[in-house]
Amino acid sequence: MEILRVENLTFYYPNAENPAVDGITLSVNSGEFIVVCGESGCGKTTLLKLMKKELSPVGKKSGSIYYNGILQENLDLKTSASEIGYVMQNPDSQTVTDKVWHELAFGLENLGVPSDIIRRKVGDMASYFGIQNWFRKNTSELSGGQKQLLNLASVMVMQPKILILDEPTSRLDPIASSDFTATLQKLNRELGLTIILVEHNLEEVFALADKVLLMDKGKALFFDRPENIADIKTEHPLLLGLPSAVRIYNALDIKDDCPLTVREGKDFLERHFKPKDEILPEYVHSETISVELKNVWFRYEKDLPDILRGTSLKVYSGEFYCILGGNGAGKTTALNVISGLDKAYRGKVLINGRQIKEYKGNSLYRHLLAFLPQDPQTVFIKDSVKGDLTEILEAMEIPKRIREEKISAIAEKTGIVHLLSKHPYDLSGGEQQKCALAKILLSEPKILLLDEPTKGLDACYKQVLKEILSKLKQEGITIITVTHDLEFAAENADRCALFFDGEILSADIPEKFFSENSFYTTHANRMARGLWKYAVTVGQVVMKAKEN
Amino acid sequence: MKNYNPFVLMFYFLAVVIISAFSENPVLQISALLGGILFCAIVTKSSETAGNIGFYVPMFFIIAVTNPLFSHNGATPLFFLNGNPVTLEAFVYGGAIAVMAIGVMLWCKCYSEIMTTDKFLYIFGKTVPKLSLVLSMALKFIPMYKQQTRRVSRAQKAMGLYSSKSVTDKIRSHARVFMAMVSWSLENSIETSSSMKARGYGLKGRTNFALFKFGADDLILLAVIVILLGVTVFGIITGETRFYYYPRISTLKFSAAYIAFGFFSLLPFIIEAKEAIKWRYYVSKI
Amino acid sequence: MKKRLSYFIIFPIIPAVVIAGAVLFSEKMYAWISLCVVFLSCIPFFLAFEKRETSVRRLVLIAAMTALSVIGRIIFTPLPGFKPVTAFVVLTAMYFGPQAGFMTGALSAVISNFYFGQGPWTPFQMFSWGIIGFIAGLLSGQLKKNKVILCIYAVFSGVMYSMLMDIWTVLWADGYFNISRYLMAVVSAVQFTIIYAVSNVVFLLLFSKPIGKMLDRIKEKYNL
Repeated sequence: MEILRVENLTFYYPNAENPAVDGITLSVNSGEFIVVCGESGCGKTTLLKLMKKELSPVGKKSGSIYYNGILQENLDLKTSASEIGYVMQNPDSQTVTDKVWHELAFGLENLGVPSDIIRRKVGDMASYFGIQNWFRKNTSELSGGQKQLLNLASVMVMQPKILILDEPTSRLDPIASSDFTATLQKLNRELGLTIILVEHNLEEVFALADKVLLMDKGKALFFDRPENIADIKTEHPLLLGLPSAVRIYNALDIKDDCPLTVREGKDFLERHFKPKDEILPEYVHSETISVELKNVWFRYEKDLPDILRGTSLKVYSGEFYCILGGNGAGKTTALNVISGLDKAYRGKVLINGRQIKEYKGNSLYRHLLAFLPQDPQTVFIKDSVKGDLTEILEAMEIPKRIREEKISAIAEKTGIVHLLSKHPYDLSGGEQQKCALAKILLSEPKILLLDEPTKGLDACYKQVLKEILSKLKQEGITIITVTHDLEFAAENADRCALFFDGEILSADIPEKFFSENSFYTTHANRMARGLWKYAVTVGQVVMKAKEN
Repeated sequence: MKNYNPFVLMFYFLAVVIISAFSENPVLQISALLGGILFCAIVTKSSETAGNIGFYVPMFFIIAVTNPLFSHNGATPLFFLNGNPVTLEAFVYGGAIAVMAIGVMLWCKCYSEIMTTDKFLYIFGKTVPKLSLVLSMALKFIPMYKQQTRRVSRAQKAMGLYSSKSVTDKIRSHARVFMAMVSWSLENSIETSSSMKARGYGLKGRTNFALFKFGADDLILLAVIVILLGVTVFGIITGETRFYYYPRISTLKFSAAYIAFGFFSLLPFIIEAKEAIKWRYYVSKI
Repeated sequence: MKKRLSYFIIFPIIPAVVIAGAVLFSEKMYAWISLCVVFLSCIPFFLAFEKRETSVRRLVLIAAMTALSVIGRIIFTPLPGFKPVTAFVVLTAMYFGPQAGFMTGALSAVISNFYFGQGPWTPFQMFSWGIIGFIAGLLSGQLKKNKVILCIYAVFSGVMYSMLMDIWTVLWADGYFNISRYLMAVVSAVQFTIIYAVSNVVFLLLFSKPIGKMLDRIKEKYNL
């Protein structure tokens, strides 16, 4: 049964020349799981907001939206509020109240549901989502994953028929994000809930989807079953965001069904190719050490447990070094210790051969070391990107006449020339990331520390970031990054290290590192490891297949 | 005590504080002080006890002594200081003010421990729902903003833009971070409002949900409170508890109000002690 | 109309409570009366706020400004008296009107006292900051245009806050209002009054431009 129909929908923001949504027509059946993807700024958020009456942006709209056969304009406000659920990106700011139980009750209060019924419904929902253990907590005490689960639960408690989610996992770490996706799948399977999900990390959700909507410049490029995605033969950067199996299939041009999951991909490869022994590539590195940790111990407070327990690591000059590891293992803390934000209570931290405490004042952060934090918004202070860039040059005491020059050079390098005059908060996540990177690069560092640089970025921006980082590497900058993104590490790192139980366990080139891990490895490697042991990225798998 | 209905608790606290603050009768004030001390001893952590004694005892003497130095009313001079009489009445009155002030402070402390924000919001939510929602949001924002301030200041430090060379530099760095946080918080508030709209805020006929119930226990406690309070107020109205310090200290007459208010201010202690004894009894049985 | 109705309900209650209290506590009558008057005079503002349609965005912004002023008060705990609360209250009033100003002021007092301790002084602080915000809202046009007027208002609000709180101090200690005693209290608190006034001027001058710009931006971007 059709639950939502969009007919020829076009939408212009005020004073905009091009439409944000351009002639979209689609129909969603009850119980379907729809995944929407597209480059940021392609109009997917606008489309989603238009589907939810309360959030419709101001602008010129034509075409129509029907919910259950009722034209949106005629839809009763109460029905719209309760039956169309909407979950946003940021886990923090969409929480309204200070207590978990109150947050769960908030929607029902708005609908005017009597207290005793609220009590029952909230209890029902809290048990289903496993919230009972933190039911009486303050919302501020929850982890990001718990917060987003709470946001989902407090929408679900209103018993929506359709659930619309706008990149709900982009601020979460991969484990919390998997849990969240699993919950969505459960809701879809067990309750028959219709789900429309915008997501940029398609590796997991692609196979769950009944239909995929691919958007580009406000238009629907593709709206069909996921296995038919191979039918669109374009070189669109969007296709980089597809699951590894689909990308391998697309690159190989073999007549067969399109694989979606690791299992299908593995079968597909084994059907068509033969195993072959391989030699591990050799790794050459510079002999100078740019960052070294020697038996470093750290804890936040005296009576808290140690987070770094004798951590040691060596990063050679000009190297791209990735620290991988589970959640809360202390990877970020290790980075903080290298950046001088946190001070080790035992052991040595050497930057370019000198102890970190010998760098007085801000000298560590001038022409030497720069740190890009997880949330790029924390980097901005001024009301324009240019203002922020100028600020750091002022602090560096760069004379006025060469400031312009430096700014345009860095803007060119990071591709933010068109963003300079904008307010940092008006930018998309990917744009903010680029601008933040530009700002910290102005201190002309030799060592660049990145904390989860790909969090929340779509495939296109990941590609852009990859290009910028490889440019920097060519200039001889040492890059150390902490990440959960195995694909990103496999594609970019010179060496990867596993962080576990307060220590760096092993550091190796990605080919060796991933092929020796049975679980902690890339999707591409999982599919291909039976055939070609050392193929860890999609590119490598495709190359091996073509050689075969 | 803390598990009773917030309305009952609020009523009780207000009654104790108002009577001990505004009546000038020493018996009422001393019993309020005693009740406050015992209640405080129960609700605060034992590690804080030493600190509390160190704070309130000197405070008591400071308040008690200042009055006779400044007030020279009273008919019974004890001695002269700089040509001004220091009177017995002023001394006693100073003591009485100290009893009252410390008593009220202790009760306010207990209030803060017992009447947590959710109870306060429950009371407000029943009377002024919109205001209570704003309060709840503000209470949610505060820890969020604190965290953001910390994040921003660390990010700025790692860029070498957060300097601590001199005091002015430090203040400027603080101010920059604070401003960035203000800007961030205002931008983020828009998403909060979208989330509220998406969940139907603003529809007609909004209800108010709370975890608190009004049960039989609450009714019993309320009845006890009303009876004891009634006897006390009756005593005050009829003037039985009337008491003067100036020009001469008046004498105390017996009143049932004293017994009633004595029990009244000891109520939390009695309830807590009873529960503690019961608890021990059950534990010993296991 | 509804607004007027609420005033009609409130006004008979004020004298009733006051008289009842005065009979009960004849000695400390004035302290009691002042506390009641101050608390009850907040109520019409609250009720008006309750009745009036406020857009969701404004509501959240009021909460955000309140939270910011509380954080400001917490950050500056080491410097007694030197607080940005008034500045935030005045700024909210300038950009969102007298009612929002009153709410931010009154709520800041209540919430920050969750951290600093509640007491009989809470209603006084609520009223003082509230009324400072209310007046600032009425004068918003002039305050926005003219820096000098803004400074004058900053000083005025510091002095007013101090003097309103002194009333309470005197009544609390003495039980009656003695003008000479009050003047003494005002004089003895003069260094605080000066700190209030100076901190208000400093924070308002520091904040009015950047935060004003942010508020204007928000107002424009989301057409409030």
